[in-house]
Amino acid sequence: MTFIFRVLIFPGFTFILLFTMFCDWVERKIEARMQNRIGPTYTGPAGILQPFADFVKLLAKEDIIPSNTKSVVFRFAPILSFSIFVFALFFLPIDGSNVIPHSSFEGDLIFVLALISVANFFLFLSGWSSTNPYSAIGATRVLTQFLGYDIPLFIFALTSAFLANDLSISTIAASQNVPFVLLIPWAFALFIITLQAELEKDPFDVPHAETEIVAGYETEYSGRRLAFLKLAKDVQIVLGAVIVVELFLSGPYGPVFLGLPAFWYTLWFILKVLFVVMITEYLTCVFARLRIDQVLVINWRMLIPLSILSLVATVAVAFWLNPLVV
Amino acid sequence: MTNVEQNILTALSNKLGEKILQIQTPQPRKVFVRVNAGVHRDALRVLLDKDESAGISAITGVDLGEKIELMYHIRTHGTIVTIRTEVSREDARIKSITDLIPGAIFHEREVTDLFGVIFEGYPSPKRLILSENWPKNLFPLRKDAEITNIEDKLEKVTVLDEDKRSSDGGTLVNIIMGPQHPAFIEPEKFSLKVDGEIVKEVKPRIGYVHRGVEKAAEKRTYLQDIYLVERICGICNACHAACFCQTVEAIMGTKAPPRAKYLRTVVLELNRIHSHMLLLGHAGLEIGYESFFQYMWRDREPIMDMMELLTGNRVIASFSTIGGVRRDFKEEKIPKIKVELATLKEKMSFYKHLFDRDPTLKMRTKNVGVLNKREALKLCVVGPVARGSDVKMDVRKDEPYAAYDEIPFKIITYNEGDSWARLMVRLDEISESIDIINFALDNLPSGSYRIRVPRIVPAGEALGRVEAPRGELFYYVKSNGTAYPERVKVRTPTFSNILSFVQIAEGGNIADVPASFVSLDPCFSCTDR
Repeated sequence: MTFIFRVLIFPGFTFILLFTMFCDWVERKIEARMQNRIGPTYTGPAGILQPFADFVKLLAKEDIIPSNTKSVVFRFAPILSFSIFVFALFFLPIDGSNVIPHSSFEGDLIFVLALISVANFFLFLSGWSSTNPYSAIGATRVLTQFLGYDIPLFIFALTSAFLANDLSISTIAASQNVPFVLLIPWAFALFIITLQAELEKDPFDVPHAETEIVAGYETEYSGRRLAFLKLAKDVQIVLGAVIVVELFLSGPYGPVFLGLPAFWYTLWFILKVLFVVMITEYLTCVFARLRIDQVLVINWRMLIPLSILSLVATVAVAFWLNPLVV
Repeated sequence: MTNVEQNILTALSNKLGEKILQIQTPQPRKVFVRVNAGVHRDALRVLLDKDESAGISAITGVDLGEKIELMYHIRTHGTIVTIRTEVSREDARIKSITDLIPGAIFHEREVTDLFGVIFEGYPSPKRLILSENWPKNLFPLRKDAEITNIEDKLEKVTVLDEDKRSSDGGTLVNIIMGPQHPAFIEPEKFSLKVDGEIVKEVKPRIGYVHRGVEKAAEKRTYLQDIYLVERICGICNACHAACFCQTVEAIMGTKAPPRAKYLRTVVLELNRIHSHMLLLGHAGLEIGYESFFQYMWRDREPIMDMMELLTGNRVIASFSTIGGVRRDFKEEKIPKIKVELATLKEKMSFYKHLFDRDPTLKMRTKNVGVLNKREALKLCVVGPVARGSDVKMDVRKDEPYAAYDEIPFKIITYNEGDSWARLMVRLDEISESIDIINFALDNLPSGSYRIRVPRIVPAGEALGRVEAPRGELFYYVKSNGTAYPERVKVRTPTFSNILSFVQIAEGGNIADVPASFVSLDPCFSCTDR
């Protein structure tokens, strides 16, 4: 019973969905305020229900599949990438333990990062199977960009793992008596930048540069498939933020006061994720979109050497930092 | 007649001698030279040899009944030299000048479409303005064209080659940008052949919103035409109205009173500021810099409010009229405007700092879409596009109209020739325009703001030029002594600039297409008229 409750309601599926939509709203509000606009206001108090309204609206729209798209991939890529992102979230401690209790294992960090790669590959396939030039270019851009940021993302993630001396996300999060962001701020800053590329946000939102290639790989999608594709993107943003929280901000753990620890852990978790979302949204607002070749140059010439350098620096200072780690 | 005109005429008569049939200088800085068909190329060559920065402003066709008159308007040293020649109506053929002036391609194609004049030796005789299914032998600007029941006469068309998706056996992909595309707000089509992310070939096609303003103007009185030409372009409407009015004033031989000239200057400059800010914001959007776009458009609002305060309208000003302006400024409004302008100037220096410093902005615009000076002259580009390529060209200085001969300002040029330079030209011009407005408001002459003019315009013809926000705006008006004009020719700046897009996009990255395209500040409702 607890198991079903945990998977379906809290902190599983329903919680993740609602939290995703809440994060989407926060993002839109932050972006709007940064750009001197007001953002959503109409649906619900301060427009908080806007992402939900958008999702429901898309679900109700006609779902058009282009006639020369025979591929099964086109039909299932949105729902698959969405479920993979949600599945990846199940391995991250939200209220103090994983969604499925005792599911964490040595190496689930690698597993989660691999899941993200797979989900990204589905996004690529969704565009590639659309047989539309805009989608095709958008899809190749997803892959090209992926080639650039994947390696640095792994190495930055490993920096934390090295410090915690463990490859399991929940252990890494739990071992941060002092959040790693204070111990290795360089890795934190660079990880966030790399994450911008992973989340396809400015300055790296090349795959769906709407002024160049319409909606990129999403161009041919409509109706409920588009709804799930959009939702998958939103979950991906939350997932990215959660990974940062787990690796650098000591996960959901924080001071516990009265009552259930689970309540406080969830609260810390939400606040920390919102903090990361705020940072990424800030970066999105202050940068222009780069070109795909510039993205690759930045990734290969700057981020990869920097990631290795950051790992080396961490190894060098690990001796003094280790007493601070449980 | 000034020295410049004298020099040009001497050079022409030295080379051509007897071949010149007639010389007229009806207006200052305007020379009309009549030659026989065929000699026009020699005359052009003389002008080009004399001044390497000479370029073509427009080719005007006029239906004379028996014959069709062609006028090549060449700008050289701030003077417009018009070489006029005639071709017969039945066998309308003339030698093309595109080998001498590559920038004349679109001008010739437009005449082919609208007058049925065939230019021999022209590279690609395709439709430019009219749609593909327009009847073959119907030329709308000829006086006898019957444009009723057009649905019955339309031709059948098939899918064009450039609309097919893959070409060259699959290595190149055709990407069609437009007529509907999120990067282009207005309907125009560019067929790009891309190899991966590299653009190999660009084919432009305009004319999707051709409304036949030139033809419509012939059916309306001069007064009605002011409101018609204003609607050619919503953004630079004040320029169109002012240009038309001053051209008609030139035919009548009247001059707007000094106060009207200053008032026009203020509105024209407000128009320029608002247009430039609109473009800069749009450029931000094209390169994925949404915050910049939102800020720019927010700061543009006070300018629109100023327009409303002064002219009564936010967008279409309806301010200039033949013989002056329609409204006077109230003295008590002027301090309010000056305060707003001071705030704007401060903000502009911040944006300039931003453009100088922001790394991503620079990465996207520096060395993107480079148009060097030689190419700029060859393609006869105008306005900020030319000035971004170090071509010192500004109608306000070359041939001062309104009150620009009395107001000090400088021409902004950059020599990089890339998108960044073109956007910087506009940023600097906004500051310059603010100074012009302040000067004009400080030195506003007293007196009447308009004179009454008769409705009937004496027979004659005149050229008018105005530096619109996008560059040189060119009008030719011919009057036949009635209240209705015989011919109104409008050549908008984008029409001259659009050719350079092909030049700067080819060989570039597909992601740079919108970024370099927007730096030209294209306006297709202008272009299509």
